[in-house]
Amino acid sequence: MNRIALRKWTLSLFAAVSVIGLTACGTSSSSPQAAAPSPEAAPQTNNQAAEPVPAKVGGTLSFYTSQPDADAAALIDGFAKKHPEVKVELFRSGTEEVISRLQAEAQAGQVKADVLLVADAPTFASLKKQDLLMPYTSPEAEQIPAELKDADGSYTGTKVMATVLAVNTQKVSTLPDSWKVLTEPEAAGKGVMPSPLYSGAAAYNLGVFTRQSEFGWNYFEGLKANQMTVSKGNGAVLKSVAGGEKEYGIVVDYMVARAKKEGSPVELIYPSEGVPVITEPIGILKGAQNPDAAKAFVDYVLSEEGQKLAADLGYTPIRKGVEAPEGLKSLEEIKVLSADIAELEASREADKKKFGEMMGGN
Amino acid sequence: MATNWQTTLTKRQAEGRQQRLWTAPIPMEKAAGWLVLLPVAFFFVYPLWKLVILSVKTEAGLGLGIFSELLADARTWSAVYHSLTAAVLSTVLALVIGVSLAWLCAYTDIRFKGAIHVMAMLPLLIPSYVMTLAWTQMAGPAGVLNRFASWLMGFPVELWNVYGLDGIIVVMGLSHYPLVYMLTLSVLYRIPKELEWAARSSGASSRNVLRQVTLPLALPGIASGGLLAFISGLDNFGIPAFLGIPAGIPVLSTLIYEQVIGFGPSAFGRASVLSILLGIIALGGTGLQWLLLRKSRVDQTSAEDRSVRYTLGKKRFLAEGAVGLFLLITSFLPLLSMASTAFIKAYGLPFLAENLTWKHFLFVLRDHAGTREALGNSLMLAGLTGALCLVVGTLFAYWRVQRPHKLGKMLEGAVSLPYALPGMVVGLAMILTWMEPIPGWQPGIYGTVWMILIAYVTRFFILQVKSSTVSILQVGREVEEAARISGGKLWTRWGRILLPLYAPGMLTGLFLVMLTAFTELTISSLLWSSGSQTIGVVIFGFEQAGSTTLSTALSTLIVTAILILLAIGGLWKRYWQRRVEG
Repeated sequence: MNRIALRKWTLSLFAAVSVIGLTACGTSSSSPQAAAPSPEAAPQTNNQAAEPVPAKVGGTLSFYTSQPDADAAALIDGFAKKHPEVKVELFRSGTEEVISRLQAEAQAGQVKADVLLVADAPTFASLKKQDLLMPYTSPEAEQIPAELKDADGSYTGTKVMATVLAVNTQKVSTLPDSWKVLTEPEAAGKGVMPSPLYSGAAAYNLGVFTRQSEFGWNYFEGLKANQMTVSKGNGAVLKSVAGGEKEYGIVVDYMVARAKKEGSPVELIYPSEGVPVITEPIGILKGAQNPDAAKAFVDYVLSEEGQKLAADLGYTPIRKGVEAPEGLKSLEEIKVLSADIAELEASREADKKKFGEMMGGN
Repeated sequence: MATNWQTTLTKRQAEGRQQRLWTAPIPMEKAAGWLVLLPVAFFFVYPLWKLVILSVKTEAGLGLGIFSELLADARTWSAVYHSLTAAVLSTVLALVIGVSLAWLCAYTDIRFKGAIHVMAMLPLLIPSYVMTLAWTQMAGPAGVLNRFASWLMGFPVELWNVYGLDGIIVVMGLSHYPLVYMLTLSVLYRIPKELEWAARSSGASSRNVLRQVTLPLALPGIASGGLLAFISGLDNFGIPAFLGIPAGIPVLSTLIYEQVIGFGPSAFGRASVLSILLGIIALGGTGLQWLLLRKSRVDQTSAEDRSVRYTLGKKRFLAEGAVGLFLLITSFLPLLSMASTAFIKAYGLPFLAENLTWKHFLFVLRDHAGTREALGNSLMLAGLTGALCLVVGTLFAYWRVQRPHKLGKMLEGAVSLPYALPGMVVGLAMILTWMEPIPGWQPGIYGTVWMILIAYVTRFFILQVKSSTVSILQVGREVEEAARISGGKLWTRWGRILLPLYAPGMLTGLFLVMLTAFTELTISSLLWSSGSQTIGVVIFGFEQAGSTTLSTALSTLIVTAILILLAIGGLWKRYWQRRVEG
């Protein structure tokens, strides 16, 4: 008898405790979802692009981004000064994590984000293809060059981030001015670049470089022959160049400018052939639960005030007439290497695959 | 040569097993099974099922297209091979180091045991990206080791390069041996020394004593620790990402990440297929562990015995020196490398007095608003995860040990999977599951801190189960019988007899769960939302913004704080044991 009693106890205790988590969560959660329309039920939110933005906005705005923490916080603060009645909820992570979460939410049938701001245009082109974006042409977007925004207004560039050549100043005495240095003997075994397989920005750069007549896949053959190291992401590249493990790196400009400003032994070089540029576009999600606030947010980011904020944070602004921060070139001074976004989006997987096979078993 | 002591041992063992197989009336047995089965199915299997469905969803409807495509890809098999090799060999390394260190600390008169114990915890505490960075500084192509060798020889030599499969194995093994060490240590204290004496006086050599008495009796701890090291090796992303990608070596976890971020319509499906492969390997490891445990021997329960059993004599200095040198290289140098980075004004500057500063520590503690909030969240999450796992995990382990049947094995396999799969995949499965667990029911958990709690409990549950199992396996059934015969009520039996006896394993589990939850990175970086930022998210954020000095400053602070707590905890544990067993 006792044995059975014991087991009854153990089991009921087990069962009770195992549901504690569930009930605790259930009771503590309010039910905002119940009121929220599911994406299928709210197709009418798509075609409001032409309507003027109402002056009164409020509620909560869900903002997903891959900007560094401090920058996202500054942007939200700036927006809050203009629209104090909107409460911005932030999810910040790597571009890869943000997009994965978004895709999983779409799979589960409910995208929670209103506004998205991540690394590069092809990523947005892919989301647009999946019909996840809501077109919105901001009045502020007029001041932004046409090639840096989507023609239908599904996404708009917010800043200019060039991928540049970084060198360690303690080890390299004569600064190069060409990407070609990476295929020459002086950089043999001393170069490092982010892997396109793990970084969206790097995948974009790969697509752009291979579509330039003076580079092409031959250039990457040369890099391989010169023992270029492929590292996980931009952060890892900067670290190995600043730390002196490598001497030359292909890396995004603002990171180098920041490290240099803090005193790291690195120098930033815009090679004479030009540089690929990503634009950290912003877009509104289809089925956004607060489209009005989302539009106001996009307007703010693209406005002169929002662009000055970007420059203060150390980025090259995208809007004409706003000055670039110290150490970086402005858009007018940068020679941009570019390629067709639709083509880049379509051939991204093939490019990555080819790169993986080429760079040795990876 | 079946000596007397061996026969006694096996006989007693056989009787023990007989007792363990006592059967209750069938309906009760069934009800018990269901009561465990249902929550496990809902919390552990259902999310994985959601993921598995994706693997057969193709654009043309249901089909095995993704499977056939990936299984025909040579890269998939290369990743399977690398994952398997890295996990198996790193586990072997972890076992050798973990068991040796545990044996030295438990049985010999080696000194500084407390310090050794704390230092051996460091690999679990230091974030794996810091650990790998430290190793590249030590043994990379331009690292200390190779520069020293080149200087010695007068021309460039490369003694050993940490980038590559061998580097992954070594760094993984050195990162995971504390799991083996911890689980083995508590078992060793419980092995009655009389048995070893009996064996020796019957003429067994000390090597035979070790092989035929100590190790078989310690098997529950060794096998459980080995399993944890094995599945940790499978899910580990940081080490192969840093050391494998530059060397062109894909493993399953990095390949899965690559698929997930490749987006496109079949991205999740592809990640899911690879996760299934990884899951199969993990279950294979669990199966191997059962085979080992079948050979384990449960003897009569004895109290923890911390007395010295072997005096090393003149060899003591040698042993102390070897352990010290080992810990210096594998624990202290990585910690030092991390701390020194945190004090440098800007990353890459030489470590000279004029380049040193406190400002990064001040910034993360005082000026960065997110840190304090994240500390609170992580403490809360680690506490709740620890408490939930402690209670539920121990009950699960108890149930599992009482009934070594098929269902138990299957469920144990199921709860180990979320720990074996990469955090990214588990996080995605959580989103897919908890947004709308049952069609039409949205509990509103997604997007709150409770989502992270559920994910943590799901992921780290196995750590508690295995740790508790180790102690439960060591306590013979006769203890409970005796208590019952003497009229002990349920609460008396658990509160005064079983819990104190299970305590070492339970505490080990609590410690492992809380520690891993507190420093968790991948899942939280996918699931956090405003107000539920964790420590891992803050460190990840600094690291991503290129602020290595800040991320290492915060990591250093955390590790130091935990080390201090560990020291306090060690004292408390000693006090607790004295009270219980004294």
